[in-house]
Amino acid sequence: MKARLKGFMFLGVILLLVIASGCGGNKGNTSSSTTTNQSTNQLVIGLDNDPPQLDPQKSSAAVDRQVFQSIYNTLVDIDVNGKIVPELATSWKITNGGKVYTFNLRKDVKFQDGTPFNAKAVKFNFDRELDPKSASPRLSEIGSISKVTVLSPYQVQVTLKQPFSPLLSILTDRAGMMLSPTAVKKEGANFSNHPVGTGPYKFVERVKQDHITVKAFKGYWGKKPKIQTIVYHPYADGNVRLTNLTSGNVDLVNTIDYKDIDRVKKNPNLKVDEKDAIGFQGIVLNVHQAPLNNVKIRQAINLAIDRESIAKVIFHNYVTPATSPLPVSSWAHDSSLKQTTADTAAAKKLVQESGLKNVHFTLKIPAGSAQNQQLGQMVQSMLKKVGINVKLEMVEFGTMIQQGTEHNFDAINLGWSGRMDPDGTIYSWFITKGGNNDMGYSNANVDKWLNQARTVSSKQERTQLYHKISQQLWKDAPYISIYYPNDYKAMKKSVQGFQHYPDTMIRPETISLK
Amino acid sequence: MGEPQLQSETVNRVQINPLRKKRNKSYSKLMKNKLAVCGGIFVVLLVVLAVFAPLLAPFDPTKQNYGQILKPPSATHWFGTDTLGRDLLSRIIFGAQVSLKAGLISVGIALTIGIPLGMISGYFRGFWDEFIIMRVTDAMLAFPSLVLALTLAAVLGPSLNHAMIAIGLVFTPYFIRLARGEVLAQREREYVSAARASGLRNFSIMMRHVFPNILGPLIVQATLNVASAIIAEASLSYLGLGTQPPTPSWGAMLAEGQGYISQAPWISIFPGLFIFLAVISINVFGDGIHDWLDPKLK
Repeated sequence: MKARLKGFMFLGVILLLVIASGCGGNKGNTSSSTTTNQSTNQLVIGLDNDPPQLDPQKSSAAVDRQVFQSIYNTLVDIDVNGKIVPELATSWKITNGGKVYTFNLRKDVKFQDGTPFNAKAVKFNFDRELDPKSASPRLSEIGSISKVTVLSPYQVQVTLKQPFSPLLSILTDRAGMMLSPTAVKKEGANFSNHPVGTGPYKFVERVKQDHITVKAFKGYWGKKPKIQTIVYHPYADGNVRLTNLTSGNVDLVNTIDYKDIDRVKKNPNLKVDEKDAIGFQGIVLNVHQAPLNNVKIRQAINLAIDRESIAKVIFHNYVTPATSPLPVSSWAHDSSLKQTTADTAAAKKLVQESGLKNVHFTLKIPAGSAQNQQLGQMVQSMLKKVGINVKLEMVEFGTMIQQGTEHNFDAINLGWSGRMDPDGTIYSWFITKGGNNDMGYSNANVDKWLNQARTVSSKQERTQLYHKISQQLWKDAPYISIYYPNDYKAMKKSVQGFQHYPDTMIRPETISLK
Repeated sequence: MGEPQLQSETVNRVQINPLRKKRNKSYSKLMKNKLAVCGGIFVVLLVVLAVFAPLLAPFDPTKQNYGQILKPPSATHWFGTDTLGRDLLSRIIFGAQVSLKAGLISVGIALTIGIPLGMISGYFRGFWDEFIIMRVTDAMLAFPSLVLALTLAAVLGPSLNHAMIAIGLVFTPYFIRLARGEVLAQREREYVSAARASGLRNFSIMMRHVFPNILGPLIVQATLNVASAIIAEASLSYLGLGTQPPTPSWGAMLAEGQGYISQAPWISIFPGLFIFLAVISINVFGDGIHDWLDPKLK
């Protein structure tokens, strides 16, 4: 019994220590500048996850790209305003009604293993992505390419099956990243462990779940990077990531929890950089499952949710309330959809008109995320007011995604990181039988408009089509858009020259340490 | 049938009586164990909180008030408010319901399955004991209990009821083991031989003679397991596999407050404190009962 008591005393002491350490979090950072990486030649970046893949053509996690940006270059890139600019391709021409893209390539580029970069390398990369045998997630993005031809050593032609206006935008992402053909042939499936590109930094080593190190590439064609070494550390837990930033172990983190933004802003050693979101967050409704197969109920949900309150209470107004899946920052956003507060009376009326009694459904939310649980509880309480009972069920994220794909749910809380082009943001979500269409939604008009918006090249025409789509989605309400998750990067004040790109990816070559 | 039974009861009484006398005498001994009394008082307090929760709680535990989020403890909200502006004191009070329910029902499940199996196993021995019940028990004990409970809860689906079933099943082997061990010791005693000699059927011997004699250790084990079950429920809810929101559970509240430990430490301190107090008081109370029931201790 005595031993047991001792054990409890010990537990009690630990509990007190934990509480004390938590309370002291804000004060302990004045001495942080004296800790570990004072060297101005090393930048430590904290990521929200350990990148599963270092092969861009196999990657399906956004966090991979944070590392890719240092190792690889893309054919074309975006600038800080999201405009397409040259990178490995110096110029391009679109001919034959948008079906043929001819790229002129930079001539002074070498891969980090010495292999020269040229039209053959570009063709090699496209062929690898397009080969069904490589099962590349890129195939669904650039599947419209029918063939790639080498016109001259530094000129390459991409021919499409039909016009596809989002192509350039897609090539600023992983599909346009160029891998060294020599390294790919040599390493085969092991390429992910020995990645070689043309980027400003060369891969050095990786210890899974611990760090990835890259070093400045001496033969880089562009402006020489100022920082010599970059170390990426994964911290899945937001609190741990922030603690490492405040304690000085990390210079820059790729994202912070919304609840911590105010704290970081108040910290004299840190600063926050903000950029509008390109993705959306909300609730997927299974349109084949009662009572959500009733459009009136779905519309009622759309009207019952007070997005302003959610943004304020959970996200401290660091997100933007959403009425469509196309965010405010996108040129395709339809600002005529304004219902960001609840219209409880109208929602109640819709529930009555549906003729259904005892309306209830289960909302699945990812386990382990306090934010999502709060969101679920707020939605639950808002829908209760209009006569819809929601049961919440916490499900492990991977399982939830799988149940979504199998349509085994009533409703799930799920969003999308989004893409630079609106097509990449919504096509796979709302096209009939689309890869992300967990709702099982199908509307002939939406299908038609989505496909048209891919093929026409005039931005004005595309904008009109996307407005029509947004309005139809508001009426059909297969997906309840709740907020656009704006991007926040937190860093030490000593980090200079950081540029915030709309795709949220860190391009480290411009960064220096004071 | 009447006569042998009478006889055996006499035999039995001879065995038990000295123990009983000692127990009666030492009621005062239990009261002298101050720690156990304190534990007992807190346990009673918890039961009162749980039973009269709707009367005691100042607010509706699920009522969200967006104007009052993350407020520190004050005269209106004694324990402060959480991320959705709910009154923490009310949530703690209703959380006691969940914790006690989880503790009692899951241990109840473990007792109902564990004691009969353990007794049958120990009393009859043989193939069923050696090769089936004990081997299954060993296999279950080979897993760390929380991992097993996690797996079961994940398979059954997340809900308080499923968590209680999972915890109950995980605790069952401990009761099987204990009941079997006690029965093994008792079955060789003379009163059992006497009862058997007097022609009593096995079932009656087990129920009327063996069972009362193994009850003491089982009660102690059950009390201690209630505390473990409360921790297990809190752990499962913390991980999202137990009580589902918005029902207040101390474990889930702890998880909710975790991210706010520096801005609003009260969200996690109070549920943490209550889990701590509940578990420690049930444990010292259980230890007190143990000392009281154990004839070897003075």
